[in-house]
Amino acid sequence: MSGIVLDRVSVRVPVDGSPAPKTLLQMVSLSLTERRIGVIGANGSGKSTLLRLLNGLVAPSDGSVMVHGADTARAVREVRRRVGFVFTDPLSQLVMPTGREDVELSLRRSIRNAAERRAHAEAVLDRFGLLPLADQSIYELSGGERQLLALAAVLAVDPEVLVLDEPSTLLDLRNRELLRRTLAGLRQQVILSTHDLELAMDMDRVLVVDAGQVVFDGGPAAAVAHYRQLSPASLPTAGINLGRPADELAGDGLARARQDRLDKR
Amino acid sequence: MTQTAPPATARTPRRRNRWNATDLGLIAVFAALIAGSALIAAIPVGGLGVPITLQTLAVMLTGLALGAGRAFAAVGLYLLLGFAGLPIFSGGRSGLGVLAGPSAGYILGFLLAATTVGWLTVVVLRRTATRTGRLRPILLFAAAMVSSIVFVHGLGVLGMMVNARLDFSKAFLADLAFYPGDIIKNILAVSIVLALHRAFPDLLLRRVRTVDARP
Amino acid sequence: MSSRGFLLATYAPGSSLIHRAPLWLKFLLVVGCGMASFLIADWAISAVVLALLCGLFLLSGAGPARLFRAVRPVLPVLLAIGLFQWWQLGAPTAARIVLNVLICVVAASILTATTPVQALLDGVASLARPFRRLGADPERFALTIAIMLRSIPFVAGAYSDVRDSARARGLERNLRALVLPVFITTVAYARQTGEALAARGLGEPEDAEGQ
Repeated sequence: MSGIVLDRVSVRVPVDGSPAPKTLLQMVSLSLTERRIGVIGANGSGKSTLLRLLNGLVAPSDGSVMVHGADTARAVREVRRRVGFVFTDPLSQLVMPTGREDVELSLRRSIRNAAERRAHAEAVLDRFGLLPLADQSIYELSGGERQLLALAAVLAVDPEVLVLDEPSTLLDLRNRELLRRTLAGLRQQVILSTHDLELAMDMDRVLVVDAGQVVFDGGPAAAVAHYRQLSPASLPTAGINLGRPADELAGDGLARARQDRLDKR
Repeated sequence: MTQTAPPATARTPRRRNRWNATDLGLIAVFAALIAGSALIAAIPVGGLGVPITLQTLAVMLTGLALGAGRAFAAVGLYLLLGFAGLPIFSGGRSGLGVLAGPSAGYILGFLLAATTVGWLTVVVLRRTATRTGRLRPILLFAAAMVSSIVFVHGLGVLGMMVNARLDFSKAFLADLAFYPGDIIKNILAVSIVLALHRAFPDLLLRRVRTVDARP
Repeated sequence: MSSRGFLLATYAPGSSLIHRAPLWLKFLLVVGCGMASFLIADWAISAVVLALLCGLFLLSGAGPARLFRAVRPVLPVLLAIGLFQWWQLGAPTAARIVLNVLICVVAASILTATTPVQALLDGVASLARPFRRLGADPERFALTIAIMLRSIPFVAGAYSDVRDSARARGLERNLRALVLPVFITTVAYARQTGEALAARGLGEPEDAEGQ
């Protein structure tokens, strides 16, 4: 069986202090076979959960997710070998201090011989034009270089599917363009979530996710149009009423932003 | 079969010692946290110059946050790398030589104290699961105090008696200098760990609950 | 993160004699220095050993800046300890204690500056192999060590970031406000790292397969 098939998938998480769990995804059924698939939707709509299902980072509470015939809830290793996952923030993904070491880490399971591993890692880095930066600390790389490196480390083991969670969010215009071109040239099936509507337009098929459900599924132009008319509807009419002195709120907002970041993780 | 349950879903820990990647991450990072805390802002106290750091705070927190098994692994990893020569004991010392020094007892006490307080934490969390209020912090503080008095201070005094050839009363007095700091650090550790468990319910809290929910 | 190379010098690619020396020999040097620093009773000998080690480090071509970056974080602590011991036990003893600590730091830096992390991992994994019979998993053990080494600079960075932001908010006297964010960010970071490993199929137990 080819492609990725989600069969009546729901994901629920327990909520503390409440007997009823929170539903992140509700009865989603999909068959993903196109080469380039985008997922768009508001923050907290269930985009991330949907992507995480695809390589077993999240297990379905009900239903099943099959990747090329392998069940993500049971054959986790198999699924993760086939599905590479790129996180929004490359720093949370790169676990080694330099690019060379990180790519070699990816290869540890597949290539036992150290010299071979090294040669293969260099070839991968070279393909992405990262060989000159191979021994630099990942903290000294630019955002775009880091994202490229994260991509290289994941592609080093040659997965069949590449899943990217908001890959362009932290990138500037130039690096976005670089990312788009890199993705366009990959032989892998690519499934990504994004807020970057331009990137969404590059896709063959786009899903719009809202409140845990896929509310639109079709071509990119129609999907983006649907998303645009969906977005303002859920905003409070008068914006957010602050009702407190601005300086007090500034600190509060920071704390909340930080908490949001943690929640997301 | 151990399900690789992600943080977002209810996990099913059949055997606690089949740690998944998140557990490995926690063990490694808490070991690093203990190492980092041992090196930052150390103040030597007492005649033997055993320095006060946030290290004991980090050690107790490891137990309070992770429970016995993973705390044992984290502190054990820290000690292992320190003994192997990584300069991560307080003040940048390392190597098996510290086992012959005056602070040997304290260093070994960390492992037992973190494990014990981890074990007690799970007991307390389970017993106070339905209760709200002050009972849980008080019991956690008591657990931390008992563990640190018995193991950190107990072995610490023993270490000074054996390695620095002090008699009991002198070693006891030398050790007494650490008590005020330890009490403050344990209060701090409990208040921090309650916040941690609120921020990350699946760190330990939810594990305790799911184990209980099973027949 | 400002504190790269904190405590352990980062790897400097090269092909010097020290780079090519077998891993066990370098490891023995580190373990030996840990012991020797305790056995040496005269500060002059400590100073000679330290000078030799520094020479060895520079011979590898890793450069004095790299060495200094590794040593710098322990300097304030060493200064405090040194002054205190000077007052308590006199200058020779104080000098010996401080020099012995530096010996440990430099010896460990020689190892990490001339050995790629992957080689260290292979070394640790093969050291741990005999324990496999007891249920240990050498690969996961080595990976955990690698993550720990990588996380020490993160923790140090978290402490200094938090100190700055607490100062900015006028909270620098509140110990809880100083320490709590360090632990929150650290736990978040640990779980992120775990998730990143899992996503790449690393670090999960062997029998995670349920087929």
